[in-house]
Amino acid sequence: MGTPGPDKAPGKPGKSFALRWLALNEKTRFSLLLLAPSGIMLILFQIVPILIGANASFRDWSLYDPQRTWVGLQHYIYILTDPNFLYLVLPNTLLLMVSSVSIGLVLGLALAHMLNKHFFGHAIVQTVILLPLMVAPVIASMMMRWIFNDQFGVVAAVIGALGFGQIAWLSDRWPSFAIIVFTDVWLWTPWFTILLLAGLRSLPKEPYEAAAIDAASKWRVFTHVTLPMMRPIMAVCIVIRSIDCFRTFDQVWVISGGGPARQTEVFSIYAYTEAFVYLNFGRGTAAAIIGAIIIGTLGWGLYKLLNRFMEVSR
Amino acid sequence: MSVATDTGYTPPKRGSFLDALAPGGKRAFFLLSVLGVLLIFAFPVFWLVLTSMRPAWGVYYVHRGLEFTLGNYLEVLEQEVVVHAFFNSFVIATLSTFFSLTVTVTSGYMLSRFTGKLANAWFGTIYIFRTIPYITWVLPLYFVTQWWGIFDTYLGLLLPHIAVHICFFSWLMKGFFDGIDPSMESAALIDGCTRWGAFLRVALPSALPGIAALSILCWLWTWNEFLFALILTSHNTPMITVVMAQFVSELGTEWNLMSATAVMAMVPALIVAIFGQKYVVRGLKV
Repeated sequence: MGTPGPDKAPGKPGKSFALRWLALNEKTRFSLLLLAPSGIMLILFQIVPILIGANASFRDWSLYDPQRTWVGLQHYIYILTDPNFLYLVLPNTLLLMVSSVSIGLVLGLALAHMLNKHFFGHAIVQTVILLPLMVAPVIASMMMRWIFNDQFGVVAAVIGALGFGQIAWLSDRWPSFAIIVFTDVWLWTPWFTILLLAGLRSLPKEPYEAAAIDAASKWRVFTHVTLPMMRPIMAVCIVIRSIDCFRTFDQVWVISGGGPARQTEVFSIYAYTEAFVYLNFGRGTAAAIIGAIIIGTLGWGLYKLLNRFMEVSR
Repeated sequence: MSVATDTGYTPPKRGSFLDALAPGGKRAFFLLSVLGVLLIFAFPVFWLVLTSMRPAWGVYYVHRGLEFTLGNYLEVLEQEVVVHAFFNSFVIATLSTFFSLTVTVTSGYMLSRFTGKLANAWFGTIYIFRTIPYITWVLPLYFVTQWWGIFDTYLGLLLPHIAVHICFFSWLMKGFFDGIDPSMESAALIDGCTRWGAFLRVALPSALPGIAALSILCWLWTWNEFLFALILTSHNTPMITVVMAQFVSELGTEWNLMSATAVMAMVPALIVAIFGQKYVVRGLKV
C-alpha cells in the first residue's frame, strides 16, 4: 500500500517462491469465490430438499395428518410391489423414452440432411422447424388435445370425411399414449435437428471427396461415411434426451392426466399423484427417489455403453 | 462433340430409384417431403391461431364456418387471473434469466479455466444433478418453501428456477469460455490486472454472444415451465402455464378462449423463432 518499490528489488529466488505460494493461494480463493454462488444455490435448493425428501420417504407423512413417525422401508416396499407402478408406470416411462428418442433421432437426422442442402424456402422451413422448440409443452399438449378431440377435432373430421370409423383418441390407453409420443416427438425433433445439423456442418470434406472418387452411392456414403463420423454427437444427443425424457410431466399431465384410469401414467406423474392426489407425501417422495435411482443407473449405463461403442468405432 | 450435346442425353445416375420410377421424381419427392415437414410442424400452431379467432359457436364447425373475430382475446383479457398470470410469468422469467446467468457464468468460467480436485468435483456434481428428475427435489420443496415462509411468493418460485439451471448452464458456459483463448487473460494478469479484472473485462466480453443466446433460451424455458409453478404456487402467484392447464380441465369445452390464451402465451416464442433464430441456434450448441 505504502511504498512497494524498495522491497521489490532484492532477494529474487525467495521472493519468487513467496509470490508463487501467494498466487496459488489466491488462485484457490478465486476459484472458490467463482464457485460459491452456484454451489450455495445447489445446496439450498437441490441437495437440502433431496435430503428432506429422503427422510420423508421413510416416514408416515400424509398431507392431511402428518404423523412423521418412522415406518422404515414400508413406502418403498409398497411401490415396488404396486402393480400400477410395475406394469403400467415403468413400462410407460421406458416406452415413451425409447420411442420418443428413437423417432426424434431418425427424424432429426433426416431433417438435418434436408436443411444441409440449399433450396428455395430454406429460411421458412428452418423457422417452422425451430418453432416447436420454443413453444411451451403445455401449449403444445393443448393443441394436440384439440386437434385429436373425439368429436370436434380436425383429425376426427378428416377421418370422418375419408369414410373411416372414429377412434376414441383420449379414452383408450394406446391412442392416448400415441398422442403423447407424437407430442413429445413434435416438441423435441427440432432439438435433434439443430444439434445434428451443426454436427453435419462441422464434418471434414475429405472423406466425401474420397467416396465421390470411388463412385459410392448416396446411401452408402450416408451409412459408411456420415454415420460413423456423426456417432459422437448422436451419442451425446441420445444420453441427454433420454435423461430428460424420463422426467416428462407436462405433456402427459395436460393430454391425458395419466388417464384413462392411470393407464398412461409415467414416473413423474405417479410421484406427483401419490403425493398430491392421494395426499401421501411419504410415498410420493419414495417414488421420486426410486425414479432418481433408476434414471441415475440407466443414464450412467447408457453413457458407458455409448462411450464403449464410440471407442470401438474409432 | 457437338453431336453428343445435341441429343440432350444425360446418363442415368447410379442408385436413384425414384428417377427410374418417374423422370424428375426425386425432386418431386424432395419437395413433397419439405411440404410434409412444414405441414406437421406448422399445422398445430396454425390451427390453434385459427381456433382462437373463431366465435364460440363456430369452434365446433371450423372446417365449415368462415366468421372470424378478435372477441376471444378481449374476453380472456377481462379475466383478472389471466392478466395477473401473464404479469407474474413475465417477472419470474426475466428475473430468473438474469440471476441464473449471473450465478452460472462464474462457475462455468471456473470449470473452463481451472483444473484440479475442485474443478473435477464440481464437474462430477453437476453431471450427477443433471440426471436427477425435477420431481425428486421439487416435491420436498413444497414443504421447504413453506417452512421458510416463501411458498406461493415470487421468491419461492424464483430461487428454484435459478437452481434448476445451474447444472446445465454451468456446462454450457464452460463451453463458451473454452472457445476463448486464455492467453489474453494471462496477458492482462501480467499487465497488472487482478483475476477478477481479467475475468470481467477480458473473458466476459468475448463470451457475451453465447451468453446473450442462452439468455433468450433461458427466458423462454422459464416462461414455458410448468411443474415448478404447479407445485410451488397457489392462488397468490398464478403462472400462465398453470392457468392454461386449469382451463383444460375446468372449462374443457371453451376451446376458443383457451386457444386465445395459448396464442398470447406463444407470442414470445413466435418472435424469437422469427427474429432470433441465429442466436438460438448458437445458444443450443452442446
